[in-house]
Amino acid sequence: MKLKQLALLLLAGCVFVPPLQAQLKNIEMRVEGMT
Amino acid sequence: MKQHLGRQSGVQNVEVSLVDGKVDVIPKEDVQINPAQLLKATYDSGVSVAEMDVTARGKIMADSGGSLEIQVAPNQSFAIAANELSKGLESLAGSQTVVTVRGQLYKKPVGKKKAETLTPLKLIILEVQKKE
Repeated sequence: MKLKQLALLLLAGCVFVPPLQAQLKNIEMRVEGMT
Repeated sequence: MKQHLGRQSGVQNVEVSLVDGKVDVIPKEDVQINPAQLLKATYDSGVSVAEMDVTARGKIMADSGGSLEIQVAPNQSFAIAANELSKGLESLAGSQTVVTVRGQLYKKPVGKKKAETLTPLKLIILEVQKKE
């Protein structure tokens, strides 16, 4: 019984942990002609 | 310019420093942002972009010709220019490893008043920050 609960807990953890997201995190520009 | 850039899709916040001519764009999470569109929007607002650096997180892929690219979204990737740092990423091509890199995506060509924003952007890696 405990093994079943542990397995369910592990499964729930896998579902709720967000995947590593790929993305652009920051964009920095150097501009000219700005007043 | 701040308002102009702030209206672009995927932009959460724009910080402008008049002193050193720096513009920081913070993208929204989970929303795709197009750097080429930002370049165009900046030109449209009347200023010239000298340089664009990005921090990107994604998977390293190799195209059919063996050139590396970083995939930052299912339908968005940037070609990586070959340099010493990119060589260190070759072994990760096609793997599930997610890397965070900082690199230069655009630099205004010397001697040109207005740059061509239609040419594909290539990422020159300046720093590999994380491998997960």
